[in-house]
Amino acid sequence: MTSFFGRFKAGTSPANPAANAAPLKKDPNAPQPTPLERLLADAGPIRADGSDKFFGFENVIMPGCRSCLRLVYCVLTPYINSIVQSLYYSAPFREHVISYPTRSPPETLQRSVSESAVALPKINTDVPSTNAQNSALSPKGRDSLSLPNAAARRGLLSPPALPTSPGVKPEENKDSPEYKKKAALAAGPVLAMDYENSSAYGMSESLFTSLKDIFEAIIAHKSRIGVVSPNKFLEVLRRENEMFRTPVHHDAHEFLNFLLNQVVEHVEQFPKQRLREAGEGDSGALARAMEQVADATSTSVANNTKWVHDLFEGTLTSETRCLTCEKTSQRDEAFLDLSVDLEQHSSVTSCLRKFSEEEMLCERDKFHCDNCGGLQEAEKRMKVKRLPRILALHLKRFKYIGGDLQRLHKLFHRVVYPYYLRLFNTTEDAEDPDRIYELYAVVVHIGGGPYHGHYVSIIKTQDRGWLLFDDEMVEPVDKSYVRNFFGGENVLACAYVLFYQETTLEAMQKEQEAEALAAEQQASSTAEVPVPATTSEPTATLLKQDVNGTAGVPNGLAHAATPQLDLDSDASSFAVLNHAVTAPPALSTENTNIAATTNQPLDHTHTVSVPVPALSPKKSKHNLSSFHLKKDKSGKSKEEKERKAAEKAAEKERDKEAKRERKEKEREVKESIKRQEEELKMALAASKLSAKTEEESRRREAQSAEKDVSEADPGREKEKENGAGTPTVGTFSKASLGRFGRGSMSFRQKPKFWPGGKEKGGGEEGGAGEDAEHDGEEKEKEKQGKNRFSLGRKKSTFLHMGSSGS
Amino acid sequence: MFVLPPPPRYPAGPYPGTPGGGPLIETNNTVTRPTDNSNQLVVGEGTYVLRDDLYLATPPPHPSEAPVHNPNPLATTIAPPSAGTKLSLVALSPAQPSQPRLYRLDTANSSGLPPSIQESPHEWNSQASDAGSHSAGGLTRSAQGSQTPAFGEGNPSLSLPNGKESKDPLKKRKPKSSIVKSNSSFVSRVIPHESLSKRLQEHDPKGFFAFANVNRALQWLDLSMTNKDEHLTKVLFTKAHALCHDVNQVTKGPTHIDVILGFSTGDIIWYEPMSQKYARINKNGNINRTPVSDIKWLPNSENLFIASHADGALVVYDKEKEDAVFVAEDASAPDLPSQNGERKPSLTVRKSVNSRNQKTNPVAYWKVSNSKINAFSFSPDCQHLAVVSEDGSFRIIDYLKEKLLHLFYGYYGGLMCVCWSPDGRYVVTGSQDDLVSIWSLEDSMLVARCQGHNSWVTAVAFDPWRCDERNYRIGSVGEDCQLLLWDFSVGMLHRPRAASVRQRNSITSATLQMARSRTDGSLSRFRSNSNLTTATVDDEVNVHPVDGKARTPFLPPVMSKKVDDHPLSWLAFEEDCIMTACNNGHIKTWDRPKEAAGGEDAPSLTST
Repeated sequence: MTSFFGRFKAGTSPANPAANAAPLKKDPNAPQPTPLERLLADAGPIRADGSDKFFGFENVIMPGCRSCLRLVYCVLTPYINSIVQSLYYSAPFREHVISYPTRSPPETLQRSVSESAVALPKINTDVPSTNAQNSALSPKGRDSLSLPNAAARRGLLSPPALPTSPGVKPEENKDSPEYKKKAALAAGPVLAMDYENSSAYGMSESLFTSLKDIFEAIIAHKSRIGVVSPNKFLEVLRRENEMFRTPVHHDAHEFLNFLLNQVVEHVEQFPKQRLREAGEGDSGALARAMEQVADATSTSVANNTKWVHDLFEGTLTSETRCLTCEKTSQRDEAFLDLSVDLEQHSSVTSCLRKFSEEEMLCERDKFHCDNCGGLQEAEKRMKVKRLPRILALHLKRFKYIGGDLQRLHKLFHRVVYPYYLRLFNTTEDAEDPDRIYELYAVVVHIGGGPYHGHYVSIIKTQDRGWLLFDDEMVEPVDKSYVRNFFGGENVLACAYVLFYQETTLEAMQKEQEAEALAAEQQASSTAEVPVPATTSEPTATLLKQDVNGTAGVPNGLAHAATPQLDLDSDASSFAVLNHAVTAPPALSTENTNIAATTNQPLDHTHTVSVPVPALSPKKSKHNLSSFHLKKDKSGKSKEEKERKAAEKAAEKERDKEAKRERKEKEREVKESIKRQEEELKMALAASKLSAKTEEESRRREAQSAEKDVSEADPGREKEKENGAGTPTVGTFSKASLGRFGRGSMSFRQKPKFWPGGKEKGGGEEGGAGEDAEHDGEEKEKEKQGKNRFSLGRKKSTFLHMGSSGS
Repeated sequence: MFVLPPPPRYPAGPYPGTPGGGPLIETNNTVTRPTDNSNQLVVGEGTYVLRDDLYLATPPPHPSEAPVHNPNPLATTIAPPSAGTKLSLVALSPAQPSQPRLYRLDTANSSGLPPSIQESPHEWNSQASDAGSHSAGGLTRSAQGSQTPAFGEGNPSLSLPNGKESKDPLKKRKPKSSIVKSNSSFVSRVIPHESLSKRLQEHDPKGFFAFANVNRALQWLDLSMTNKDEHLTKVLFTKAHALCHDVNQVTKGPTHIDVILGFSTGDIIWYEPMSQKYARINKNGNINRTPVSDIKWLPNSENLFIASHADGALVVYDKEKEDAVFVAEDASAPDLPSQNGERKPSLTVRKSVNSRNQKTNPVAYWKVSNSKINAFSFSPDCQHLAVVSEDGSFRIIDYLKEKLLHLFYGYYGGLMCVCWSPDGRYVVTGSQDDLVSIWSLEDSMLVARCQGHNSWVTAVAFDPWRCDERNYRIGSVGEDCQLLLWDFSVGMLHRPRAASVRQRNSITSATLQMARSRTDGSLSRFRSNSNLTTATVDDEVNVHPVDGKARTPFLPPVMSKKVDDHPLSWLAFEEDCIMTACNNGHIKTWDRPKEAAGGEDAPSLTST
């Protein structure tokens, strides 16, 4: 293997710089800047909230499948990259990730970065310090300094995406994405995320901490562009879930769902874990200190643990009307994203409406009515009761078509999506039913089928327009480019996951005005220099920046001030959104400063600590003033802290008792859940075995048997939950949620495999039966052994907020 | 472990959806007539049957524009805007169909409009009693049409086109250059029919000529002929696609048709097909370099037309004037946002029609919207303009006074098409929220949302033959390949009873009153409505906020049918048929129900 690498490295390293250097040498004074660099050429100082960082993600090969290096297209990670990037550019999500549980002081980040650089000297984590004298975007640093290292590490860590056989065209064609990606990787800086910082957060290593590591590293880095190599994240991912270990093409939506559930789980676990640690610790001074920290954090963030829910979670109400007794029963179910079925030549609006269309439960899908006490025909419909702030829409492009249940097929249907969206399918009592969403990210799947292909994302950034993120490559694109991925007969690249985020009409109009002005200014500028009528995108976006007043303000003072200004305006636009951001600033003494600033993502202290490549006098002045500000704050917070400490001491005792109790219960529940999972797995295995032996003609029976098993279980599980008494249901479901995760709401047109006669298992609770039915499709997939979501998690995809049979 | 064979990174192989370069050879149009009656639209009044499907051949790409097969589906090159097939229909007789056409419903009415569209029998009486006054109204109307102030009236520099008056008023002025012999790089090829003059002689004056764009071609068709698939003339442009076109209803005649074409490059061509002459306007984007999204002749004008550009500008051109590099005359216009970044919604007049400088194009230049104007439409009384744009806004403009009167917003997404009811009381828009919206101008409000499309609505039209005082028929087509028909009546819309039973001396006076009340009375009436944040609204502009979905009634379609395999782009109602066109060039004609057409003279679009 090593020899293979050696050869590989030897083969690529000389070729690589040559390929890159050749075009550069032609014009030594001005190496061709990439479109992104041109876009960022006039950028002001880097903002602290990370909204103006544009990092590609390296397409990393999974170490687990080094064995198949022969296959050049092996396990690629774009499905991870596209999702993580989409999440990063959701401002509230990013803020929450970096500020939960606390925001790491940038110094420590800097340290950890350099430490890892020391520990792994082969890996170029940072632009060499000489580069700091130039602007972070300096082409000089870009090509001369980081290139050899990057090239070396490219050879070391991952093979190039393409075969390096001589005469491969894409490598040479400068417009090819392959070339651009290589160039981006060579240009660096490359953030090799192979360290973990979880202990600094006080958390155990998890997907959340590695995600936080990545986000923080991006924000802390002094360069605006670069490449992230998410090795640690992948490692954790593979450890956490075996399905992502296998060298098959993965589904970006599944990953999104898994990731969100993981984040929910770890975020919610964290205060409990801290509490447990505190409770188990001895009475030594150290433990006490820890306790204090834990307590302080847990109380300060206690209300904060729900932030993932606040952002992504919505509630669906399913109304089932029994046609016999006319009784309507309602049940609320939480979702983190919506999976919608597609039709040829439709729109997202229509898909969502279809999602909520009435559905008859009849024949084999009869509904068990509590009122009539039996299986009855019923009408069912799902409506959105609580609208999420970020609406993740999964377009179900992968499907078993016709009788072919062996393989998924990709649907190339043309499904149009607007830039702005409202939901028609809301309940009448929904809060803010006319909420307006704006499209901010599109995850695109490219390829002919579900088992291979590539993912990229097109993301709207705060003030840089739309960018295309294709692994390492980041490129500005025109707004209309977003509409290239509707799909259609001749289109391999189709939108697969759409991210809509809450916005306001005012923000929308403001943006449209800015766009118009940018276009106009561009037109007037091109009027002087005749250019083909087609708008050249980079300039357009550039001008837009001018318009927004964030960048391109030539004088230094303005430079120093703009970020805050911009953040303020940003804050106002997100004022509606950020309910949970502010938290009481009460932490241990050495953390006071940080505590004061931590949960105020808009504070400029971070700007200060972010090393600015070249400190202009004006810049430092700004720093000073910021420090003053900080001191004031810390003084105030000291007083407050003392007062709060007293309060907290009393509160702590009470809390601890309560939490211990809760913890006990939690454990009980978890254990019972574990038991159930085991039972379930056994049952499933049995049914699978039997299914295998069944003839193809008896497939249906096999399915029904499995369905029976699957439906029986959630029923039992729910009985237990409900048995614990209504008041506690909330707590328990919350606790168990972490374990089970929350699925996306996917819908089938008709539940086809519902065995009417075998309803006994789930008979006690009609709702449980329905659950199984919603998951029917996923289960089909599972049955095919396609490594879709593990059954244990899928089992109770939905949170049962309670059911009212009246 | 089983690993699937590796696919190429950017698959270019024979996948189901490999980007094809389109046809490489010139093909002919085809027309298919259904052998059975399986293709039907079943509505209350009867069954519409597919007459034929004319397929316009997509031209091969220009040799100089060899299809660059880019295997990268992520290529960031911006494709030029293109549009689905649209038609401009023109019948040479009657001489002025546009005005009378509005009231053709009277004849249809007298010949027995089935009462099926009536809400209740008692309305039939008022209906019948109205019939006489309708035609009277139609008469007074045409008289009043001349009373309507002409655009730019009172500007002496405008009244003399090019400073010289045509000697013979009957002899229409033609463009200068011959399109056949043109050596312009803009026009690639012109393919006239070999027996063009013979066919022109045979043309039934009542029959329709059609101008249809498909890809880079513009085809001139005679829809009244059996061999309507044989184009009279096909003009192939080199690179630019014609996105929109219009025929002048004033100047048309047996020897003369004025067609204007708006292109994806911003260019505009004035084309006279009979003499095969053309002239270029806004050449190379002299005046506005953004694509022309919609283009229409000014009503009752021989020379003037309005083009909407993708940057949100409405520009009035004179077909006979030369271009001049356009410099905004009113540079001091409050175009840049004030410090707080807010801009009051208004119509920025960059060049007024009253400007003294009328030697060159443009005649007038208005910046209407911040984003692309998708479509606009003249009101039947020729006083107002309804403009819809990509930012979801819908404006009513008094173009004679160059003033913005109303600003509405769709539910979400861009608005794509707009159309006035024949009596001018309602405007209907289609949008990217899959809705057809009905706006009442008398009440300045959204009266109903029509939900039924499964995708964006690309074209809407009223069926004037099925509209009367109280009942309206709307048709809409969309990206979902569906044709939907909607019926609504005044009573359904919960309007005050008094408004609908007002004395019916004539419609036109009603519309005029309405227009007046819009311009004058609206201020006091809707002042309270302008509670949008942009409080710095012009005194005369009424900004109407979006209505929540709970507050507006939803209307279901009376008929919905998938009529094509491709997204539809155009729709028209004619006396004897409904016509639809799709993005790929299929033009379908649906015959109206027999019982309704029975006893009338032969339909003008005969397929015999």
